[in-house]
Order: sequence, then structure tokens, then C-alpha cells
Amino acid sequence: MTSRKEVTPAAIAVLAAYAELPLAPGREAVINATLEAWIKDANELSRKMSAEKHRDLIPATVFSHPIDTEEGN
Amino acid sequence: MGHPAELLELSLAQAARLVKSKKISPVDLVSASLDRIKAVDGRLSSYISVFEDEARKVAKAAETMIMAGHDLGPLHGIPVALKDNLAVKGFRTTAGSKVLKDWIPDHDATVTERLRRAGAIFLGKLNMHEFAWGGTSDNPHYGAVRNPWDMERFPAGSSGGSGVAVAARTCYGAIGTDTGGSIRLPSAINGVVGIRPTYGRVSNYGIIPLAWSMDTAGPMTRTVEDCAIMFNAIAGHDPKDASTSRAATTDYTEGLQRGVKGLRIGVVPGYFFHHLQPPVRDAVKSGLETLAGLGAEIVDVNIENIHGNISAQLTIEAAEPSTYHQRWLREQPDNYGADVRSLLEIGEMLLATHYLQAQRYRTLLRQEFLEAFKKVDVFICPTLPFTATKVGAMKVVIENGVEEDMLSAIMQFTGVPSLTGLPSLNVPCGFDPDGLPVGMQIIGQPFDEALLFRIGAAFQSATDFHTRAPAL
Repeated sequence: MTSRKEVTPAAIAVLAAYAELPLAPGREAVINATLEAWIKDANELSRKMSAEKHRDLIPATVFSHPIDTEEGN
Repeated sequence: MGHPAELLELSLAQAARLVKSKKISPVDLVSASLDRIKAVDGRLSSYISVFEDEARKVAKAAETMIMAGHDLGPLHGIPVALKDNLAVKGFRTTAGSKVLKDWIPDHDATVTERLRRAGAIFLGKLNMHEFAWGGTSDNPHYGAVRNPWDMERFPAGSSGGSGVAVAARTCYGAIGTDTGGSIRLPSAINGVVGIRPTYGRVSNYGIIPLAWSMDTAGPMTRTVEDCAIMFNAIAGHDPKDASTSRAATTDYTEGLQRGVKGLRIGVVPGYFFHHLQPPVRDAVKSGLETLAGLGAEIVDVNIENIHGNISAQLTIEAAEPSTYHQRWLREQPDNYGADVRSLLEIGEMLLATHYLQAQRYRTLLRQEFLEAFKKVDVFICPTLPFTATKVGAMKVVIENGVEEDMLSAIMQFTGVPSLTGLPSLNVPCGFDPDGLPVGMQIIGQPFDEALLFRIGAAFQSATDFHTRAPAL
């Protein structure tokens, strides 16, 4: 993972093809700047979360709740 | 009592007491609210649908019940409105979109059903950012929602219509939904109260999703007491929503008078008061001083990994909606507004590893906050770092004249409760020099909404920001 400028309209066209997302003409240029910024930040977060001290963290897709809490309502 | 202008200035709680004592009728409340909608909403665009005939019929029935001695509780006969992503059986529910412009649900959302059972009267469905994916409520299909404090300014979002309807006195309370800040942001920008509940405290059944792992629904009102009354009606486990908790609920109005003496309020020094417009910083700091004056203790607490939360928020909030909308985006891309279409396309291009690292970050951030709650009872910070921008603006200047992307900037503080699943209450705490509202965010431990209401009520007992009304 690097932060080099790798998000280009051509790269977006490839990503869209992988996702089988038919982009209308010119859409790549419309989303380029935002996607580039978000991927740069996401890669930075990925580097942080790849640190050895975070190795045991699991994704919090849905929070579980204690089973010993009293039922309400 | 009975003049429409007087009726509209009542809080929900005041109106409820007068209905209960038969001093005013639900018919009068509904009539005053509908007249107010007709008078001001042509300029505000806060409603997508108004249920005039239905509301009048239900009000008459509510009046008959009260006069016969049947009282359904504090919401009996009270006019409220719902964000247009909550299903109402038999009534169009668009989620602010063209994609669902003709959808008529055959069921109520659980929140809708619980409010109905509590006697609330639905005035209509409120405008919003399309599919709740954005923070401006600049809706290309149903009109840009306008801020009642300055019509040239935005109302924030995505529950912009809900915030505006409450501030403009067209209803006594509204329901919003909050994924990355969509209740708290328009509450702050419009000068009203709004709570994002603990994830799992309020059912999402029957609500069009944005991001499943962060979606919540909650009330927006003018006072904290009103918010607690509405919360009483909607909180609790729902067999139709597996993500809801069986943790016990309580009477959220019970502790409102207990004050804040001895409570410890946490502030994250390297984050909560950095990168803010000065009037926002001053108003929130003044709010903290008010609470300290009431006996609370302000405590600095470091959250080591708080930086990174905006990226995690954006990644999750991009990937999950793009999953939900995957078919529609391929079948009818032109039916989406320009910004939402772009965000949905972007969400398809983030990597699975980005998404899962963001979800792992949530675990880390939640652990750090839960550990910090050993030292403090709540945290308080600004709800967002700026006051209302111009309608249509996609950039915002926060400091040093630098333009920033609106979506990233607006979630500087609201992303933290969204990622951690913690409850958070916005309370109005001041105005900027242009007369635009500022809000502060009280963040609590899981299922500790009662404490947030208690602190908010103490603050409102010592301030008058919530009593001021926009001139319309």
C-alpha cells in the first residue's frame, strides 16, 4: 500500500469493470478526486490497523450485547 | 390558551399536559400545525408529503377518546412528523429519492407503529438528503431544504427536514435517522435537540437503510424533556429487528431534574477543540463552563487513536450503501442525484480490506472509549465544527481560509459515536455572530441515554437557547 497517485480515470475504469459497473461516459473524471482522497486516507488507516499491537482486533460489523442484561419492554 | 400562535410555542410536554387536562384539543393542535405548514413550508421545503385529511380525522378521534377518559399517554393527540425513510402503511415513502417515488409500504416501521400506538398524530413525511447519503438535504427531487434561521443557508442533514420542521414550529417533534450524524447535525444547525441512540436501542425495522452497521433512528424536538418523552415511546427490543438489544429500558423522563453535580465530563484535548470555527469553539466552551457552574467536573481524557475516525466513517458509509443500491445503480443510475450517484459509484471501488480495516478500527476506538468511561461519565464536544453554510455549497471554510470537502468536514465529531455505537445527544448551546445556532454533543456509555437527557435538561434549565425561535 502506497500513497502514490494511482487513482486515475483509467484506473477507475478498470475498477468499474471488476465490479461489473457500467459507468456512463465521463463518470471516471467526476469521481476521480474524491475517490483518490478517500483511498489515500483508507490506506493510511490500513497501515495503522496493520500494526503488530492491533493484530488481535476483530471487525465490529455488528456489536453484540451482553446476554445477562435484564429484558426490558 | 387556544390562539394558534400560542399553541405552536408550546413545547411537546406542555401541549401534552394541556391535552390531558382537556384544556386544549388535539384538533386545535393539528389545525394550528397544518396552518403553520401552509404558511411557511413553501419557503422551507421541509415536507415531502402532508397528511392533512388523515391528521384531522385522527385528531378528532383522539379528542373523542380524551373526552371519554381514555388517555394513551404523553403523546396522545400530539402532532409529529416522520423523516421520509420511515415506512408508513398506505402512504408514499420515498426516502427522498426518485427511485422510490411511488413506493407505498404495506407495513409500518416499528418506530411508526410505536408512535401511533402511543397516540401521536402524523402530520406528514419530511424531506431529507436523498437516501440519507449526505449531510446537506439539498434534494434534487423534492427541493433543497432551507434553514429557518437564514433561508440562504443549508439545514444540514440527512434529516434536514426533521430539524427544520421542529425549529419552524410546524410540528412538536420529529423522527430522524442517524448513520454518520444525520440526527445530530441538523439538530445543531437548526438549534434543536436530537438524540442518536445506542446502536440497537431503537428498531430500524421498516426504515430504508443507509449503512446497516451504523444506522439508528431517534427523536428531534425543541426541549430535552420532549425528546425523552418521544424516546420513551420508541426505545426497546423489537423481534422484527435482530440488531436490537434486550437491555432494559427505563422511564427516560424520570431523572431530568437530578442535575449534574458531581458528574465527570470528559474532553479529548487534542481533538475536541481543534479545527473549529471560533464561534463554535466559544459556544461549546461556554456550555462546558455552564455545566461546571452547575457542579460538574471537566476532565481531560486522551483517546489515543481518535484520529482516523473520519476515514473509517467514510469507508463504511460508502461500502454499505453501495451494496444496498447495487442493482438500482445499474438499472437506473440517472434516477439518482449527482452527488449520491457519485458516492454510490465510489463505494463500489473501495477494497474489502479497506472496509474490514475500518471495521477493526471501530473495535479499537470503542475499546478506548469504554476504557475512558472508567474516568468520566460522559464526553462533550462540538456537534460539528462550523455553522450553517450557503445552500448548495460543497466546500466549507473552517479556518485559515482553506476550503475543505463538506462531507469529510461535517463528520469531524459525529463520526465518533457512529463508529463506536455510543449514544449521543445534541443540545443547542449558542449562536454565532450571524445568529446561526451552535450545538454541543453529549456522548455517553452504551444504553445510558437517561444520563444524556439528565445533563441536557440541566443545561436547558440554566440557558435559554432552546426557547429562541427563528423569524419566519
